[in-house]
Amino acid sequence: MRLIAALFAAALAPGLVAASFAAPVEAAEFRWAATADAATLDPHAQNTATVLGFLNNVYEGLVRRGRDMALESALAERWEALEGGAGWRFHLRKGVTFHDGAAFDAEDVLFSHARAASKQSDVASWFAQVRAVEAPDPYTVDFLTTAPSPIFPDSIANFMIMDKGWAEANGAALPDRETGNFATLNANGTGAFRVTLREPGLQTVLEPFDKWWGTPEHNITRAIHKPIKNPATALASLISGAVDFIEPAPIQDIERLRATDGVQVIEGVEARTIFFGFRQNRERLLDGGANIFKDVRVREAVNHAINVEAIVTVILRGAAQPVSQLIDPASRGYSHARAARPAFDLDKAKALIAEAGASGAAFTLACPNDRYIADAAVCQAVVGMLAQAGLAPRLVTLPAAQYFAALRERQFDMYLLGWSADTFDAEHPIRFLAATPDAEKKLGSWNFGGFSNDRVDALLPLIQTELDEAARQAMLDEVAAILQDEAAYVPLYVQPLLWAARANIALSQRADNFFILRWVTVN
Amino acid sequence: MLAFILRRLAQSALVLLAVGLIAFAMFRFVGDPIDAMLGQERTVEDIARLRAALGLDRSFVEQYLRFLGGALQGEFGVSWRLGRPVGRLLAERAPATLELALVSGVLAVGLGIGLGVYTALRRGGWLAGAIMTGSLIGVSLPTFLIGILLIWVFSVELGWLPSFGRGETVDLGFWTTGFLTVSGLKALILPSITLGLYQMTLIMRLVRAEMLEVLRADYIRFARARGLRERSIHFRHALKNTLAPVITVTGLQIGAIVAFAIITETVFQWPGVGLLFINAVQAVDIPVMAAYLMLIAALFVAINLIVDILYVMIDPRLRADRAGAAR
Amino acid sequence: MRPPRTILGRALDGDLGRSFRRSPPTVLAAAVALALILGAALAPLIAPADPHDPASLNLMNGFTPPMTPNAFTGEAFWLGTDDQGRDMASAILYGLRISLFVGVAAVALAMLIGVTLGLIAGYVGGWVDGVIMRVADIQLTFPAILVAMLIFGVAKGLTPPESRDQMAIWVLILSIGLSDWVQFARTVRASAMVEAQKDYVAAARLIGRSGAAIMLRHVAPNALGPVLVIATISLALAIIAEATLSFLGVGAPPTSPSLGTLIRIGQGYLFSGEWWILFFPALTLLALALAVNLLGDWLRDALNPRLR
Repeated sequence: MRLIAALFAAALAPGLVAASFAAPVEAAEFRWAATADAATLDPHAQNTATVLGFLNNVYEGLVRRGRDMALESALAERWEALEGGAGWRFHLRKGVTFHDGAAFDAEDVLFSHARAASKQSDVASWFAQVRAVEAPDPYTVDFLTTAPSPIFPDSIANFMIMDKGWAEANGAALPDRETGNFATLNANGTGAFRVTLREPGLQTVLEPFDKWWGTPEHNITRAIHKPIKNPATALASLISGAVDFIEPAPIQDIERLRATDGVQVIEGVEARTIFFGFRQNRERLLDGGANIFKDVRVREAVNHAINVEAIVTVILRGAAQPVSQLIDPASRGYSHARAARPAFDLDKAKALIAEAGASGAAFTLACPNDRYIADAAVCQAVVGMLAQAGLAPRLVTLPAAQYFAALRERQFDMYLLGWSADTFDAEHPIRFLAATPDAEKKLGSWNFGGFSNDRVDALLPLIQTELDEAARQAMLDEVAAILQDEAAYVPLYVQPLLWAARANIALSQRADNFFILRWVTVN
Repeated sequence: MLAFILRRLAQSALVLLAVGLIAFAMFRFVGDPIDAMLGQERTVEDIARLRAALGLDRSFVEQYLRFLGGALQGEFGVSWRLGRPVGRLLAERAPATLELALVSGVLAVGLGIGLGVYTALRRGGWLAGAIMTGSLIGVSLPTFLIGILLIWVFSVELGWLPSFGRGETVDLGFWTTGFLTVSGLKALILPSITLGLYQMTLIMRLVRAEMLEVLRADYIRFARARGLRERSIHFRHALKNTLAPVITVTGLQIGAIVAFAIITETVFQWPGVGLLFINAVQAVDIPVMAAYLMLIAALFVAINLIVDILYVMIDPRLRADRAGAAR
Repeated sequence: MRPPRTILGRALDGDLGRSFRRSPPTVLAAAVALALILGAALAPLIAPADPHDPASLNLMNGFTPPMTPNAFTGEAFWLGTDDQGRDMASAILYGLRISLFVGVAAVALAMLIGVTLGLIAGYVGGWVDGVIMRVADIQLTFPAILVAMLIFGVAKGLTPPESRDQMAIWVLILSIGLSDWVQFARTVRASAMVEAQKDYVAAARLIGRSGAAIMLRHVAPNALGPVLVIATISLALAIIAEATLSFLGVGAPPTSPSLGTLIRIGQGYLFSGEWWILFFPALTLLALALAVNLLGDWLRDALNPRLR
């Protein structure tokens, strides 16, 4: 019998020992988790919020955004427009070093621009209007544009500077989006933190950069980031104290989180609109049937068939805001004149579809299933709503890693997309989503459905160079009206921003969902 | 004896080659790697360049041989989902799975033997009956359900144990271990119970059945008649003879452990090769699937080989038969 | 006592029947299994709603607790609703339907392949036998569920994304069936080898009957006994395999969920208070698995000559 007891004890001992220890976490160590891991550490290889948001803690640009999204100086102390709208001049900060000790100067800016504007980069569209970059002296850089560009500094808030010497010495002079290179796994920026451990998909460890040029507002000595795909797991680890902060907080657990001791919920609205797009530039649908979405009546009907209020109430627990355009109400250029969404009217939708002869039409509805909050659930609900209106949608969901590539390749008949304008200006979604696709001019690169309207195309360059606010807004209002009347897209809602943290953490939430480590205090 | 070993080695090699062929066929015929790897702005030159780099312009046999050669060196290509070399991915995540398998194995064997002996000796007692009923449930319940239940009770309701990941790990160069930190040890508990429960139930029932048979045997009654103490009878004689088949069965359970590790790692988000594999299946990431397939095949073939050889070496009856037949 | 007159009565009075009646857990298991099978088979008739018809769903019904009227629509549901407004009771019945369908179809496929290959291997012998047994050995080195996952992944890669959801059920049946044929083949092969030596087979060959005819008419029926036992156990394993694969996200899709898929969906809501989305499907799966396991156990013991 004693042997049995011994075997029992031996098997259980580690568990008992471990459980009896309540290891206190170091006061200034910070653990945080997100649903996705940044796919690369290369700031020019992927233009996604996940990558850029994470790298904002490690790399810096000429300008950056503050807590209220206003533009601040970063590696450029000040900047001004050049005579006659020829471009912009940036005066660089002196005495800045990279994590490896190298000095920062205009050469690095020139190198980083060439790298970011290259064919291999994913952020080249930010420099579409730049015709040349010059450095009159080691601490001044001029960006010369093809036409007056009033919001150019806003559009480069996430353009990050790399060290020329480091990149060239390590074979990373250009980004490599296929197999990756040194810059994919290693980072050398000027930011407040440097990467001390990188295990892609598992964990990344950041530590403060002691030679950073700014004044630290945090008390972190070590930050550990891990991806947790499963929302229930993330929730459990926050509640148990295994992590200090999760983003996004699972929307279905908000009530529980609010009621839990030791946990705080930080809520806001992300400047990300979620909408459906249609395949509009082909005669046939994906499976060969006639393209019903070329008919504006069908597109209108879809607008009326989707009950956005129900989606916001049930799936998003009331935390989102229905929206009528591709930009959120708080951004510049939002058309207040066109703030009303098409009403939920199932009968009207059915009538329009019957009129267009599209009753019973089958088509493919595609969505990512891990990119936006409750994306798959929203699409499933929409399938039901469209079925009630007389259509026959077939749902396809894909992980984000495959979704965007598949969308580009196959052009699904109807697709879900979310858009966050990094300039916080209505011109941004027009440039990417409403302009007729033109690879040379770098227009419409996310306009997967191929929506095309001559008037919109004519207005866009005027909007981009118009300096008078009122005139600009009038043009933006006209474009918003065209997009709504043509039912080019189906804007649904502005995505809620939900973070959850332990009660002893003080942090700031930004409307672009970027988590800035240097604003965190662990109490 | 030597002939036997050589024959088994030849068989193993054949199995590995066949599996390699299947893995390679997967590569060739499912999905287009070019599609998966190049982005939207690919040109004709890009396609040709990548084709040559991946060797897709050579003959089937030549590609197969290159594939095998690469596999032997640990080169399995690049993951389509993560964009990193598969060999490195597997090496990074192997320690997590191996540590989990080890702890759950120890748990399963320890508790399995212990409970098996107890229920055999105290046959008819209410506790033994309860354990047997519990074991039936343990065998019938799908692994993932057990895991979810444990998370609910111990992690969310009671808050004693973590429900995801490995906790803090220590990097020893080629190996990362969770054994050296408290959070690492805590994180091991629920997953290893989930993973080990099925094996534990099997071992327990096997030990119990064997022990009951053995206890009825003549030499035990003879030992009692001689006046030996009960405990001596139970442990020195009965248990020893029970253990031989248990060891064999345990060795062959490696397969089940690998399969259940995939499930356990998914439930607990344990960053091992199992989770890597299931993510690869969901995303149709052929390089990872193929590499996993071949590694598992190699593992099983090796273990089966070792078990077969050990069995022949240990069991004197088999050896005598063999010797007798040879004459 | 007069002998019973009905078939059921006579069955219950035989050897098998008596051992069945003597074991209460087995009777209970059979009752539960019967209830579940009936529920699944009659689902279209008895389910309150069709959870697979997207046009019948009302999103505002989502997340309603069991037997509580919904705050917006006032509708009440026995077991509550899930995140899409699907009635849980209907979802479970239809999910059972899928689970059972996939399980039975997969075992049928495995039996078809296994029995055929086993007969051929045992009767024909020679190098054909060698090849079939080699393939069986190679497959046996891997756990069945791993084989099923691999087949599913490959099949998924071969289908275009638009058709994947519809093809999922068939791919599931294919992968589970293909992963399970080996035991059938081995058992039937052993019996076939024994039968092939017997006189009546030699006699049949003499009078000119074809090999296939002999195999089907004479050898097969004699080899089928143990096959039934294996089939029951295989069914239990197939049902659990399907639930596991669906739970892992490589099985039945959320648009036509099986019990495993429902559990996967429910897990996300367990901790936020909507416990019923996980609880009821999990309970059903547990009952089903236990019932089939118990029945299999009893059948194996009852047919085991050593214990009689």
